[in-house]
Amino acid sequence: MEQFNTADKIAAYLGGGLVVFGVVVIGLLEMLFGSGHPVDGEGQIVHEALVPLEVRSYIILLGLIVWGVYAVYRVVATTPEPVPAEP
Amino acid sequence: MPEQIDTRLLGREVTFGVSGPWLAYWLVIMRLVVGWWLLHAGLDKFASWPFDASWFIGGAAAGTSIGPFVTLFSDGILLSFTNVMIPLGQTLIGLGLILGALTRLAAFFGAFLMLFFYFINGETGGWSHGLVTGDLLGLLLFAMIATLGAGRVLGVDAYLARTAFVRDHPKLRYLIG
Repeated sequence: MEQFNTADKIAAYLGGGLVVFGVVVIGLLEMLFGSGHPVDGEGQIVHEALVPLEVRSYIILLGLIVWGVYAVYRVVATTPEPVPAEP
Repeated sequence: MPEQIDTRLLGREVTFGVSGPWLAYWLVIMRLVVGWWLLHAGLDKFASWPFDASWFIGGAAAGTSIGPFVTLFSDGILLSFTNVMIPLGQTLIGLGLILGALTRLAAFFGAFLMLFFYFINGETGGWSHGLVTGDLLGLLLFAMIATLGAGRVLGVDAYLARTAFVRDHPKLRYLIG
């Protein structure tokens, strides 16, 4: 049974956790207690937000960077599992 | 008969069946549609050449979270480089996905490109209806295509993977597939 190793877990849980936290969890909190729309149609930041938009952006960006660094790490530092020989 | 997936996620046993034909089918559909999205964007810019990204990376990007990095490319030789690389990159990413050639490499750079579009478009008005936008969904689709190695289904990569060159250089399987 193939499972995540340590690097996989860091990428999956830290990277994915930050993206989901920034997009979904903060989004839900904003909907309930802050501002449901972080910017208006002209790109003006809505300052009533619970979490400043810049902080929210950086949380998501950090998650995406974790994923990207993991992808580069896989290519540079590991070798794919051998493919089973064709019959 | 569904393919059986047995693994662990978040410390729990995960077992479920996946329909092989439907999985293969959706991988191809996803590749074709996302590929055309980028190929069209790239060809469109070549069709109305010259392309000038300065309004985006110098104007719109200024003041966004990634502005300090992106605006470095807003003039001089770095702007000229960007003006060529955006349409060329989009065209190659689109072609890679549609043909299923160097699919993982193409999808990685697709996600890389989407990262810039997501934050710059979003923070300048695109997030007025929330943070989940087409750019973010595109980025996630690229990540999925790369993870699942979608090019092996009816793609050039299925052929490349069987070549002696790739067998002798197994790391290349990270770029194809």
